[in-house]
Amino acid sequence: MELFAQDLVNGILAGGIFAVVALGFSLVWGIMNIINLAHGAFIMMGAYTSYVLFSTWHLDPFLSIPLAFVVLYVFGYCIQRFVINYVVRAPLLTPFLLTFGLSLLIVNMALFVFHGDTKGITTQYSGSSFSIGPVTVAWTKLWTLVVALAITAVMQAFLTASRTGRAIRAMALDIDAAQLCGVRVSHLYAVVFGLGAGLAGAAGVLISLSYSLQPSMGDPFVITAFVCCVLGGLGTVQGALVGGLVYGVLEAFGSQYIGTGLQDAVALVVLLLVLIVRPRGILGKATA
Amino acid sequence: MGGITGNVTALRVTVTILVLLAFVPLLHSGYYENLGRGVLMFATLSFGWNILGGYTGYVSFGNVVFFGIGTYTSAALWQHWHQQSIPLAIVCAMVVAVVFAIVLGTPILRLRGHYFAIATLGIALATEEIVANIDWLGAGSGQAIRPLEAFSSYYVAMWIVCAASMLATYLITHSKLGYAFVAIRENEEAAAVLGVNATRYKVIAWAISAAMAAAAGAVFAGANGFIDPPTAFATDDNVFPIVMALLGGVGTVAGPLIGALILTAINETLWSHFPQIHTLFFGAVIVLVVLFLPRGLLWLLNVRGGWRGVVATFGAYRV
Repeated sequence: MELFAQDLVNGILAGGIFAVVALGFSLVWGIMNIINLAHGAFIMMGAYTSYVLFSTWHLDPFLSIPLAFVVLYVFGYCIQRFVINYVVRAPLLTPFLLTFGLSLLIVNMALFVFHGDTKGITTQYSGSSFSIGPVTVAWTKLWTLVVALAITAVMQAFLTASRTGRAIRAMALDIDAAQLCGVRVSHLYAVVFGLGAGLAGAAGVLISLSYSLQPSMGDPFVITAFVCCVLGGLGTVQGALVGGLVYGVLEAFGSQYIGTGLQDAVALVVLLLVLIVRPRGILGKATA
Repeated sequence: MGGITGNVTALRVTVTILVLLAFVPLLHSGYYENLGRGVLMFATLSFGWNILGGYTGYVSFGNVVFFGIGTYTSAALWQHWHQQSIPLAIVCAMVVAVVFAIVLGTPILRLRGHYFAIATLGIALATEEIVANIDWLGAGSGQAIRPLEAFSSYYVAMWIVCAASMLATYLITHSKLGYAFVAIRENEEAAAVLGVNATRYKVIAWAISAAMAAAAGAVFAGANGFIDPPTAFATDDNVFPIVMALLGGVGTVAGPLIGALILTAINETLWSHFPQIHTLFFGAVIVLVVLFLPRGLLWLLNVRGGWRGVVATFGAYRV
């Protein structure tokens, strides 16, 4: 029972990170129908941004989140505007391979600059924790969850209330109609990809607080993001949040009761079960 | 997508290349034999991927799983039954892979597009993890295989596997089977309405894909002499064949071999000159091919309107 409670808490705490990872991925996939295989590379870039700021100016990782977001936003905007936009309507294989190639480029660039050894960020509060009954909670992970929820809320507010957010949602509904109403698709596609990259960067900073850093650290998160999107329902903020939290818990139990070396196998089984039993996800609406 | 018949000139050139490759062992150079075997292996994997991804239109991102199954069948035959025979390994590997493909294909091939691509990627990763936990297969530390004394037999075997894959692709292209595959690619519902049993043909396509990859894997394992999960399920062996098919021409008979030849040459040059950053260059190659040659080299032979036609298609898919 104690073990169960501890796993549940750990799962929810990790789920916050997964939610932010899935949020950017879901936005790009839901609106442009692109599976961004470079999402993991963006996460890695965010983590290294946080590492560089921390090791050079001792900037607290939580404070480097906005900066990582902006850096990755600009980077993502340019990539979509000047590269992906040219093939965005091509058959599936083309954008899929393109983002894979970009991922290889970015990861190996990082390998060249930072070398392959693992790095870590140790703050003064790393390792401190508190207990509620039998359950131990690390402060870092709790704050990570809080920040993750805050990012999700801001994103939701942006998409529902702002003018750009409404244009983005209009584009997801009917791209031709949106274009007729004056939406600049090439610019907004780049904004969406920028947001996706920015959110990946923010997630990367959060990840850098609890995991060690190396250039290929982001790769496993691509599959995680995909499974979270399928779990929660594609293209909505709530879907990514629920998918991330549920997946976090499932993975915590999976590694406890099935084994730690089998995360991908567990993820695959979850993915296939969801696709067979409830293909639109937990929160997804039925589509015609 | 290059049409179903493809280009006759390209086919002649490709057959010539294949015939020339058969003479590489006469050079008595270990280096060129290795390189040539690599070309043949990647071409076979690419032919395999092309049957499902090119003809049926189901983009698999995990075909390396069948290559891995092939290598492990070969390794298990030596470890547990002391069998070194290459034909035996090839046949066993193909049988195991086809059974695996049929069992998995029935649920997986219900998925489409991105879902299918990611599910196959998941299968490749999951199988690697599972194999790394099976003691009978050497778990994480892998298994050794004693290579044959006559080492060139591996080259000959790989050549036969590659030639057979190309011949099979050619025959399929000109058969009812090939037309059914392409019909599924162009419009699965319409094909079903016209009486094509889509599920059955998709599973057949996947099984053929699997058999080709497994045969290449079985030969590779013997020549390599050692197999562990990262070698058997290498990302390179997963992605290179797709890029090769794309570079040559997706859904063509000749494309995979041409792509394999060019990409292996590029890769080898980069590897020997810039070992530090060669993967970086490979990423750049993928990006450039996808952006500027999305229909492959063979398409250039068929394009109407010369270079203007080529330029006009650039940006056909932009927003």
